[in-house]
Amino acid sequence: MPPWLSDLLWTYQNVLVALGVNGLLALSMYVVLAAGQLSLGQAAFMGLGAYASALLSLRLHWPFWLVLPLSPVVPVGFALLVGGPTLRLSGIYLAIATIGLGEVLRAVYLNVDALGGALGLSGIPEAAPLWLIYLVLAASLFVLWQVGRSRIGRAMEAMRGDARTALAMGVNVRRYRLATLAASAALAGLAGALSAHATDFIGPSDYGFETAVSILSFALLGGVASPFAPVLGAAVLTLLPEALRGFADLRLVLNGLVIVLAVLFLPRGILPWRMRRSAA
Amino acid sequence: MRRRALMASLAALAAAPGRVARAQEAPIPIGLVAVLSGPNAAYGTAIRAGVELALGQVNAGAARLRLIVEDSGGSKDGAINAARKLIGRDRVAAIIGPTLSNEMFAMGPVTNARGIPTIGTSTTAGGITDIGPFIFRTALPEADVIPVTMKKAASRGVKRVALMYANDDAFSKSGFEVMRTAAAGTGFTILTVESFGSRDTDFSAQLTKIKGLAPDAVGISALVEPVAGVLLQARQLGFGRETLFIGGNGSNSPKLGQIAGTAADGLIVGSPWFIGKQDPLNLAFVAAFRARFGRNPDQFAAQAYDTLGILAAAIARAGNADPARIRNALLKTDRVGVMGPFRFTERRDPASTEGVVVLEMQGGAFRIAG
Repeated sequence: MPPWLSDLLWTYQNVLVALGVNGLLALSMYVVLAAGQLSLGQAAFMGLGAYASALLSLRLHWPFWLVLPLSPVVPVGFALLVGGPTLRLSGIYLAIATIGLGEVLRAVYLNVDALGGALGLSGIPEAAPLWLIYLVLAASLFVLWQVGRSRIGRAMEAMRGDARTALAMGVNVRRYRLATLAASAALAGLAGALSAHATDFIGPSDYGFETAVSILSFALLGGVASPFAPVLGAAVLTLLPEALRGFADLRLVLNGLVIVLAVLFLPRGILPWRMRRSAA
Repeated sequence: MRRRALMASLAALAAAPGRVARAQEAPIPIGLVAVLSGPNAAYGTAIRAGVELALGQVNAGAARLRLIVEDSGGSKDGAINAARKLIGRDRVAAIIGPTLSNEMFAMGPVTNARGIPTIGTSTTAGGITDIGPFIFRTALPEADVIPVTMKKAASRGVKRVALMYANDDAFSKSGFEVMRTAAAGTGFTILTVESFGSRDTDFSAQLTKIKGLAPDAVGISALVEPVAGVLLQARQLGFGRETLFIGGNGSNSPKLGQIAGTAADGLIVGSPWFIGKQDPLNLAFVAAFRARFGRNPDQFAAQAYDTLGILAAAIARAGNADPARIRNALLKTDRVGVMGPFRFTERRDPASTEGVVVLEMQGGAFRIAG
């Protein structure tokens, strides 16, 4: 690798990591939105994945190739546990219940000393290389693309249109909702484990309400027509603050302006094209 | 490319030592990472002002240092991105900052691995300099300041204390650990420990319990807003002047008097600096700061002002922009600044607590405690 390229990679390594991790989080949001649910628990699931994997690495010294595949276990467990009661809720009520989950977990991280309390966990081995993050992202995109084109994708789209009609058409809405919530938790858990092992420090405030909202905004900006749309939204929102660094004091203003304009003029997201269905 | 040119010109200058001081054509780039946006922007703005004031004085005559300022926004990722940009693109020889201890825990490993000296001016939490051999700080850690405060409390006859802290932020939590150790080390009996959240507004349950135990003093480790809230409510619940309130570094802000008014009277807090110190260096600093920015400097501006002076002197001693040489020169720092005499320990923390003054709130403003 020529020195200028390795320097460039070094300079923007953190941005590249964030790009991949936020892409995964956007997919995690996409999975629930595509089935017509507004869940804001993605940051909480990410935190569970991050804390669980960091503890496995720090306390038990397990190798990362073992830790990463296990990282979705805890968030998926939680998703199934809270999914039963909360999926009876819909719309804004589900959103509020999942925000509650995130706040409860934040309080747990803060008050349990074994989890580092407010000081968080530091010294997590930097075991997640860039290529691995993008490999996971590409694999997730591929799987979601294939699922989206299949019968399952059609059922999800029907639920997004109108859950009652979908139920009348024979779609097992409850099971789909639980499955999408679990898939969303698994993706967020992977993202959490990867980001924890790329920046070596995690704290309770990383997975709060602000993070939940920014994950939602990835999907809002990109749209949910195909799995690529929210990933593109995440890429724009991740790169924008860095691209605008030269504007110094005006940075946040311009950042907000771009988002407002996109929402006003592209209400269905910046990538509104739907994927083509395979013949059923 | 730019770095190679710089090195070449510096090598040429080094060959003629008498001319090093006039290195006009190639000012050495240094970086500042500070919180300039978001809720903690007040700290970063003060730090930038202190650094810029000192830079103007260092560069008087010839431009020896070039400062590049980056905003971290108060987030871990923001701090890491800023540091990577400063090192990878701007080729800085050293970095001052970041502002928050949490940011340093994330950014420090990156700059340390790259071998760029990094000096925190406001990172007071424990364990900062354990990150690695290139991480320095000029902020006195709470572990150095709070024992001085506790000694003052002991001299006023305090024996039994209650402790309160905000358990949801790293700064308050680590300040509390120090307070507990220092209280025990001073020989105080700790009656109870109560915690609360930084955004809480009701502290009556904790305060009522503490009042029942009738301690001589109450130690509080939290940021200034919740401390003000605790004091206001304590006065309502009938805490009088017989109970001494002891603050951590978070209470060391003029905002305390602005929010709590006379309810804060009597609170004591240790500070590495005080605007009313009468030595000529400090008088000149305060006057220059007022003249340039039209307001009073605070502790963060003073620490940042001294830090740039320390770094500039180390770069001058190092003779070139090599980060490893600057690091070694920093370790040999022996300088008197507005905070008092300054040296680094081998662990790259401030060595002397001589400059610490214990302040007391009186009529809504700080003065030196009697």
